[in-house]
Amino acid sequence: MESSNLSSLPEETLDVEDEQQQQQQENKKNPPVSAFSSAPPTRPPTLSSLKKYVPLEWTGFFDKEEDVCIPESNDVFHVYMAGTEGPVVFCLHGGGYSGLSFALSTSKIKEKARVVAMDLRGHGKTSTENELDLSVETMCSDVFAVLKAMYGDSPPAIVLVGHSMGGSVAVHVAAKKALPSLAGMVVVDVVEGTAMASLVHMQKLLSSRMQHFSSMEKAIEWSVRGGSLRNIDSARVSVPTTLKYDDSKKCYVYRTRLEETEQYWRGWYEGLSDKFLSCPIPKLLLLAGTDRLDRSLTIGQMQGKFQMVVVRHTGHAIQEDTPDEFATLIINFISRNRIGPHGIEIPGLRRTFQRNNESTQQ
Amino acid sequence: MSLDSVPTNTHGNLDEEISQLMQCKPLSEQEVRALCEKAKEILMDESNVQPVKSPVTICGDIHGQFHDLAELFRIGGKCPDTNYLFMGDYVDRGYYSVETVTLLVALKVRYPQRITILRGNHESRQITQVYGFYDECLRKYGNANVWKTFTDLFDYFPLTALVESEIFCLHGGLSPSIETLDNIRNFDRVQEVPHEGPMCDLLWSDPDDRCGWGISPRGAGYTFGQDISEQFNHTNNLKLIARAHQLVMEGYNWGHEQKVVTIFSAPNYCYRCGNMASILEVDDCKEHTFIQFEPAPRRGEPDVTRRTPDYFL
Repeated sequence: MESSNLSSLPEETLDVEDEQQQQQQENKKNPPVSAFSSAPPTRPPTLSSLKKYVPLEWTGFFDKEEDVCIPESNDVFHVYMAGTEGPVVFCLHGGGYSGLSFALSTSKIKEKARVVAMDLRGHGKTSTENELDLSVETMCSDVFAVLKAMYGDSPPAIVLVGHSMGGSVAVHVAAKKALPSLAGMVVVDVVEGTAMASLVHMQKLLSSRMQHFSSMEKAIEWSVRGGSLRNIDSARVSVPTTLKYDDSKKCYVYRTRLEETEQYWRGWYEGLSDKFLSCPIPKLLLLAGTDRLDRSLTIGQMQGKFQMVVVRHTGHAIQEDTPDEFATLIINFISRNRIGPHGIEIPGLRRTFQRNNESTQQ
Repeated sequence: MSLDSVPTNTHGNLDEEISQLMQCKPLSEQEVRALCEKAKEILMDESNVQPVKSPVTICGDIHGQFHDLAELFRIGGKCPDTNYLFMGDYVDRGYYSVETVTLLVALKVRYPQRITILRGNHESRQITQVYGFYDECLRKYGNANVWKTFTDLFDYFPLTALVESEIFCLHGGLSPSIETLDNIRNFDRVQEVPHEGPMCDLLWSDPDDRCGWGISPRGAGYTFGQDISEQFNHTNNLKLIARAHQLVMEGYNWGHEQKVVTIFSAPNYCYRCGNMASILEVDDCKEHTFIQFEPAPRRGEPDVTRRTPDYFL
């Protein structure tokens, strides 16, 4: 797949720059009321290919959205919700993504469990007083605040699912052991050793991304053809909320200013493996393509302390690229560990002691 | 070529193959196929609970760490001078799964009464496609035939062994669906390792500090407490359960008040864990001696430098 991306990208880059100029002229006459109208009419072949990349609404995947206001602050967190029964699968997206990163997998998970996917600080439709404070401590407090605002003092059984940066937030939340109803944790494609090693390349990687898009369609197309997402339908629903329209530049830009948050990156990953292993609940680590375990996790895995599944034919965003397989893995994890709506249910499994006392609801 | 040069000793070829393998040089695809045919004949006659006599040296996971297996033979004694019982996980993770498993199978064919090779959870079609053996076969042979030949053979490996009727040896651990050794003797083992059920449990379960049965955090098998081990040993007149499957930093680890021992024979597992390895010698008088060993000096093994992933967010 790499080679096809490499061959298509340069051409695409020219194409888009070209189009941006046209776009700016277009916009003078015709401000973009819908993303679709901004496609240049002079290029029929591109236009027809852009139909593939038309944005999709979240309504086809989630049942409702809500704004969760945090008391005594001006922070309002946006959440998407689906499903009516079972434990709550609480989803935390990666840096630069949004809650809609879990849209496609939600339509399957919600058959067996409730899904809540929040937009983290600085992301999606969430609005906070400090959009740039992406320290893991702050994001961790945000999750506790949202759970408290949603469920008060009697939360249902919760399975935390975190992708990449969100995986780090999930681990930090779980490691605080402050959520009695936390019944399981799924971390998606993030491992301390390799994440730390890759940090030095990240400003370059961020700045090499396409920064301006004449239309939503172009951004969706770029995310798929550039290889960051491999599932067009998922990109159609998840990419739009990662963008905002910049009136001065007359184009779409990234909603999250990741390159200004570098001071927090190390904090996301430092000590993550040991923290993960320290969480006294069932744990599933999903990795994309290859086993990237560092020393701590290799030992932990070889001692049988958590479940690991290597998912094939997917990029970094497993929940977007292979949503059905992802959903099945989540559902099987819940059922294997007998996580019911109120906590872990293990009738008769332990003869003397009940395991996971911490995470079983009274 | 005169008739005289045809080896009258039918083991001639096999001995050559073994000495080639001892130098970490793989056999040809045809040689592997012929070898596995012979191995299948031998293994299909073995029991699900294969009886083994002492003295014997019991070994845990190897995981393709060929040079450490060679070190194990230097320390424990050569086969057939020393009798061996290997408790599975020959392939995956290390760089020389092909050479490792071929050597052990060749020794089995050459000295069937001197070496016992049990099945581990990695001796499976599904697991080897994720953890390296499949890719290594493709790399070394250019196709998946050797992988197919070996994984077909793995179905015939015995699941457990019984040393002098008192040490029960297996890769993983106990199963809530198994109370007696006869339960094990009675099932049909010639199949891919299932996702659940007694055969899966024997290859996946782990002992635990907590009593009773628990759901295994691994996603397959169970955890079992000291009460379970005591009951099983009592029911089956056993002194000890010897098993592998879990990395233990010292190479061996007693559990359940010496009713269970874990043996792990891959030093510095995955070339990064920094653990010791060990083997357990059981002598004529059924006395136990653990021998610990460290990684063999490396020759031509790539450093553990892995490509930086193109992600982080």
